[in-house]
Amino acid sequence: MTDRQIPFARLAFAAGCAATILAGAAVAQDMQGFAPLPDAPEINEVRAALGEMLFFDTRLSGDTANSCATCHDPARGWGDGAAMSTGYTGVEYFRNAPGLFNVADRNYLMWDGRLDGADLGTLVRDMLTESHTMHMDSRLAQERLKQVPEYMAMFEEAYGAEPYGGRIYGAIAEYIKTIRTENAPFDAYLRGDAAALSESAARGMELFAGEAGCAACHGGAMLSDGGLHATGAPDHPELQENADRQITMLRHFATMGTPNYMNLREDVGQYVVTKDDADIGKFVTPSLWDVGQTAPYMHSGVFPTLAEVVAFYDAGNDAIAPLGLSEAQEADLVAFLESLTGDAPEIPDPDLPDYALRVVGEN
Amino acid sequence: MHASSTTALAALALLLSGAASAQDAVPPLATLEPPPVPVDNPMSPDKVALGEKLFWDGRLSGNWSMPCSACHLPDVGWGTGGAISFGYPGTQHWRNSQTILNSAYYNKLFWEGSKTSLEAQAKGAAGGAVAGNGDGSMMEMRLRFVPEYVAAFKDVFGTEWPHSEQAWEAISAYQRTIVTDATMVPFDRLLAGDETALSDGAKRGLDLFNGKAGCIACHNGALASDQRFYNIGVPAAAEFGEDPLYQITLRWELYQKGGSEEDYRTGADDLGLYHQTKRPRDKHKFRTPSLRELRWTGPYMHNGSVETLADVVAFYDGGGGAGQTAGLEPLALSPEEQADLVTFLEALSMDEPLIREEPELPETATWAEFPR
Repeated sequence: MTDRQIPFARLAFAAGCAATILAGAAVAQDMQGFAPLPDAPEINEVRAALGEMLFFDTRLSGDTANSCATCHDPARGWGDGAAMSTGYTGVEYFRNAPGLFNVADRNYLMWDGRLDGADLGTLVRDMLTESHTMHMDSRLAQERLKQVPEYMAMFEEAYGAEPYGGRIYGAIAEYIKTIRTENAPFDAYLRGDAAALSESAARGMELFAGEAGCAACHGGAMLSDGGLHATGAPDHPELQENADRQITMLRHFATMGTPNYMNLREDVGQYVVTKDDADIGKFVTPSLWDVGQTAPYMHSGVFPTLAEVVAFYDAGNDAIAPLGLSEAQEADLVAFLESLTGDAPEIPDPDLPDYALRVVGEN
Repeated sequence: MHASSTTALAALALLLSGAASAQDAVPPLATLEPPPVPVDNPMSPDKVALGEKLFWDGRLSGNWSMPCSACHLPDVGWGTGGAISFGYPGTQHWRNSQTILNSAYYNKLFWEGSKTSLEAQAKGAAGGAVAGNGDGSMMEMRLRFVPEYVAAFKDVFGTEWPHSEQAWEAISAYQRTIVTDATMVPFDRLLAGDETALSDGAKRGLDLFNGKAGCIACHNGALASDQRFYNIGVPAAAEFGEDPLYQITLRWELYQKGGSEEDYRTGADDLGLYHQTKRPRDKHKFRTPSLRELRWTGPYMHNGSVETLADVVAFYDGGGGAGQTAGLEPLALSPEEQADLVTFLEALSMDEPLIREEPELPETATWAEFPR
């Protein structure tokens, strides 16, 4: 194990408790650091209803070509299903568009951890205004929404005020707080339904907490330690071949003030935030809830299936020790990961109101 | 006062001095010298060649669709040929796209004079949310992934990598070559001694221009513009009352340029210079445009609401529009006199429009092709 390897040994006690794990969910919760999903956050329903419409409204992008939902499509696990996201028109992004399940409970936001998880409004602002995502002038967004009488009424109801950048971000942030894992078998199991897991999934759970060591980083109620780690997950090979993605990546590094950005040839992750060499290649530990809906995987979307993710960890690399799992064990782990997955969201595209002529002086 | 063709030059001198005394001391119409070149952006053939490519390159916009040339097309007078310019996709612009021709001579750019150099104007247009909507750092990185540009920028500017500010400098250098060729302008040929250069009607029009019609008061000097700002009462663009996209842009401008709350709430028209100065007397003032190349650069006025030169002349003949503060008065020109004025105005344009073909643009490459 190198000094950048994750100290799985810390969780070695879990393996020793494997027999006990299966004895009951409550015990498993105690012994393995598992916990049911966090409680649903309080929601301001009026603002969330407004935010839902805005989430789907392409008028919040510079050229009105994409909405939040373009890259965070509920039918694709609130991602876009592609390895690396497309981003703004004429841009190609260099990372995977992550799903939004339980986004209210994350410690960091963005793969490189550049935003604080407690500040969803800033996340929304970043997505709307950044050149590589929606590239929107927020003052123009405000004026577009003011040209829609239905939005004027909804902002009045939600805020007692007119559309304005911060209120736009806040409403969308309130909406995405409602995006939650629903009816995942493992959550039911942790809440006492011992039958919720198949035998294979139960064996996978044991491996997850024990021999495979997944829980070292993917433990707790979010199935994430909320930290950033370098696991050696590779960039997508296409990054080396697609100049448009390279442009977007080096430009992002440049705007973050990254040293020597023109000469970087890999996604350096958290390094752009800290500028500490020790953080090169570190990415946020993603929550594994709903992981069955959010393929492909890793910061680069390099792995299309969960089986490939498990095989990646089993094989090990310079950063992580190999696991030596059998094929059956790998399949059990995948079965467990599937059990972290809840219902597919059924979110119809809202009917969006049109622009109308304004009455000068009335607004 | 009607100059005969045989005494044109002598008469012209009289005409111009007469106009000057009638309209305060204003510089007479004259042939343009080569345009001024700022000391910090000297011209070179390589810089101009680079600027030409960049002028046409959609990399210098948000979504690649809006290079400078998108709204400054050579074959429609280096504008759009329409009343109000195209906007960035999803938006609508709010003013007429001004010609690039002879823009090198202005000391302030944009209709409200918001920029003081071509370099700043190019940057502003490429970045404006309803124009190019480009992000400076994104546009810069796109240029760095074009090996031909990297070599050209290094050659011209001496830096390892292109910088966005250099792009605006190169484009400005190119624009300083998009100028009137005086040998192709009837009026300039007259000034150069060709007494047959103007028709009789144009000569009568010149007389009116400098005299009875008083055009020379503002449209003076070699550029035929005093580069000052006036409210001549051009009515608001009808589009502001008819189309939400125009209203959105108008209000966005009223908001982001920092006028008063009342302006923002009640604004139904472009406030022009006021957006810059916030002085009430500057409302609806716009920079006097050059009258050179008018044949090729219609429609006219800041919102393109006047379609033909005959309409322009008729507008002034009527004393301008409601609310004008430029001191205009009805001119009482006969139809023949108005026609003569139009004939003269056309003689301030080249015989053929200045056209440039779209250059071939260089390809983007991956970082594997970066210079070592």
